Amino acid sequence: MKVFTFHLMPYANLDMNFMEKHRAAWVVLPNTYYDPKVGHELYNRYLDELELAAELGFDGISVNEHHQNAYGLMPSPVVTAAALARRTKTAKLAILGNAFGLREHPLNLAEEHSMIDNITGGRLISGMVRGIGAEYFSTGNNPAFSHARFQEAHDLVVQAWTRPGPFSFEGKFYHFEYVNTWPRPYQQPHPPIWAPSTGSTETIEWAAHPSRKYTYLQAYSPTQSVMRFLNYYRECAERMYGYTASSDQIGWSTPVYISDTDQKARDEAKPHIEVLFNRLLRLPFEMLFPPGYLSPKSLANMRSHKRSVSGQEHTVDSLIEAGIIVCGSPDTVRRQFTETHRMLGFQNLLCLMQFGTLPRDLTERNIRLFASEVLPALQGLTDKQYAGMQTKAAE
Amino acid sequence: MAENAVIDLRGSKVNIWRAGKGEPVLFLHGLQGRNGHEPGLDELAKSFEVIAPDHPGFGRSENVDGVDDINDLSLFYLDLMDALKLERVHVVGQCIGGWLALEMAIYWGQRFKSLSLVNSAGIRVKDVPRGDLFVCSEEDMIRMLFAGNGGVEWMKSIRGEGELEDIYERNRAAAAKYSWSPRLCNPKLDRWLHRVNAPVHIVWGEENRVLPPAYGEALKKLIPGASHATIANCAHLAHIEQPQKFAQEISQFIRRTGS
Repeated sequence: MKVFTFHLMPYANLDMNFMEKHRAAWVVLPNTYYDPKVGHELYNRYLDELELAAELGFDGISVNEHHQNAYGLMPSPVVTAAALARRTKTAKLAILGNAFGLREHPLNLAEEHSMIDNITGGRLISGMVRGIGAEYFSTGNNPAFSHARFQEAHDLVVQAWTRPGPFSFEGKFYHFEYVNTWPRPYQQPHPPIWAPSTGSTETIEWAAHPSRKYTYLQAYSPTQSVMRFLNYYRECAERMYGYTASSDQIGWSTPVYISDTDQKARDEAKPHIEVLFNRLLRLPFEMLFPPGYLSPKSLANMRSHKRSVSGQEHTVDSLIEAGIIVCGSPDTVRRQFTETHRMLGFQNLLCLMQFGTLPRDLTERNIRLFASEVLPALQGLTDKQYAGMQTKAAE
Repeated sequence: MAENAVIDLRGSKVNIWRAGKGEPVLFLHGLQGRNGHEPGLDELAKSFEVIAPDHPGFGRSENVDGVDDINDLSLFYLDLMDALKLERVHVVGQCIGGWLALEMAIYWGQRFKSLSLVNSAGIRVKDVPRGDLFVCSEEDMIRMLFAGNGGVEWMKSIRGEGELEDIYERNRAAAAKYSWSPRLCNPKLDRWLHRVNAPVHIVWGEENRVLPPAYGEALKKLIPGASHATIANCAHLAHIEQPQKFAQEISQFIRRTGS
C-alpha cells in the first residue's frame, strides 16, 4: 500500500465564535478575520509538516484546492506543490485535486502541472475535481454546467498533455486555436490522474471507465460509505465495463491521530478535530450543493449521506464510532487500517495528520508516531491481505 | 378553467398553463418557476386568456439541448410564439421573465402589444446590492421574497414529496442555469434598452429585497416612455403576495394601450 499524508492548511487561529455572526467559514466569512502575519507562520509551519512526513518515509505528500474560506488556505495547490517540489527528493507530490473546470483557461493549469512534473522528474500526481459546491459561489462559475465543464476541461488537459501540438480544440466551453503545451509532462503519457470525491456515483463511473482507470479516493466518510463507494468502483468496473479493477485504483482518505494510549489520543485530538468538523467544515446545504451542482439522482443519495458528515454536531467519540476518523494508540490505528484494508483492499491511503487547531507539537508527534509505528506495516500490505469483495455495493 | 398541456416544440416538450378567455397575455415566469400557486395569474385570467409556459428545464418542461442562457431562451420563445400563433401579444415578465422579455424586445419589439415588467431582472444597478436567493437558507429566502407573512405557507405549498420536490429542485437548477453569472443580468443590456419600442409598464414591490426598488427606477429611466408603479406591502413575488393589485396594474395598463 502507498501511504500519503495531506494537509488542509486551516486558518487555525480563527476566532471560533465566528458562527455566532456568520453561517460558515466559507463564502461569506469576511477576510478581515485573516491576519497575514499569522498566515505567514501557518503556511511555513504546514509546509514543514509535509516535508517532515516526506523525510520520514511517507510515499507521498498531498495538497488541494479550496477558495475563499478559513477551512483551508490553498486557493492554488500549484503554489504549495511548487514550494514542496525542490524540498523533497523521492516523495510523490499529489495535487488532490485541482479544479480544472473552474478555470477560464485550464490550459494554463495544464502547463503548471507539467512544469512541476518536469522539475520533480515525474513525481506529480494530478487530481482532477469539480470543486465543492461552495467554490461555485466563490468563483462565479455556474454550477448547472459543473459536470459538463469539468469533463471538457479534463479532455482538453489530457489532450494538451498527450497530443502532438499545435492542434485546435473546439469545445462547448473552451475554444483554443493553438494547443501546444511547452513543457510536455515528464511522465508519459501524462501524470497519473486521481479523482477524489465524497461519494458521487457519476464520478465513480467516470473514473472507472476503461479509457481512464483513474484512482478514486473516498474522503470524509463513515466506514459504511467508504465500503459502499469503493466497492461500487470495483462493481462498476466489473459489471458496467467488463474488467477487474486493480486495488491501485481505489483509495481512502481520513484524519488520523495517534498518541500513547487510546484514551490519551481521544483526549488530545478532541478539541481540534471537533473544530474541524463542527466549525470549519460546517456548510449549509445550500452552500454545499448549489442548484444544478448534483444530478437529481446524486442529490437524492447525498441528502441522506451528507447529513451524517456536515449536518450534525460531532464529538471525537461519534467520529471514531462512525469510522470518519482513525484515532488511538499505535496498535489500535495499525489494527484498524489493516482490518479495513482486509475488507476493502485499497492500495492508497491518505492520512490527514494535522486538523483544525491541532498545534505544531502534537502534529509533529502524530507524524513521527505514525511513521515509526504504523507506516511500515501498512506499506507491506498487498492484495494478498485483501479478503476480496464481501458485500454488495448498495446502488 | 385552467389547464396544463404539454406541446411538442421542434422535438422538445413544453408545458403550458392556460386560463381565462379574451385577449391573450403571455406570462414569463421568474426564478421560482410556476408551481400552481400563483393567485395573481388566476386574477388576471378573469379578464384575459393567460398563457404561461414553463421555461425549458423548469416545472414540467424538458431541458432543451443548446438552450443554456437568456439569449438562447429568447430565441426559443420566438419559436414558441410562432408555434402558438402569437404574432403580436401582451407580455408580462416577472423577475428573469422580465429580463427575457427585454432581451426579446430590443430585437423584436414589434411582437409585443405591450410589456409589463414586474420586479424584473436584467440590468445591474451600481452600488445597489441584490439579494442572493441561491446562497441563503429557506428561512432567509422566505424573508427575502415576501413583505408579509405569506411566505411560510407558500413555501409549504411548493415543497414536499415526490413530483412536487422534484419540480422544486428542477426549478432551482434551471434558475441557476440562466441567471447564475452574471447574476440576474446582462451587463450590456442597458446599452440597448432605448430600442424597446413597445408600451412598457414597470411594477415593483416596495419591499423587494431581491431586486430593490432602485432597479425599477433605473429601468424606467432606460426605457423610453415607460410608466412605473409600486405596490405597498409587497416584495419580489407580486403575483403571489398581492394578486389583486398585480392583476389590476396589468389590466389597467393593457386597457390604456388601447387593445
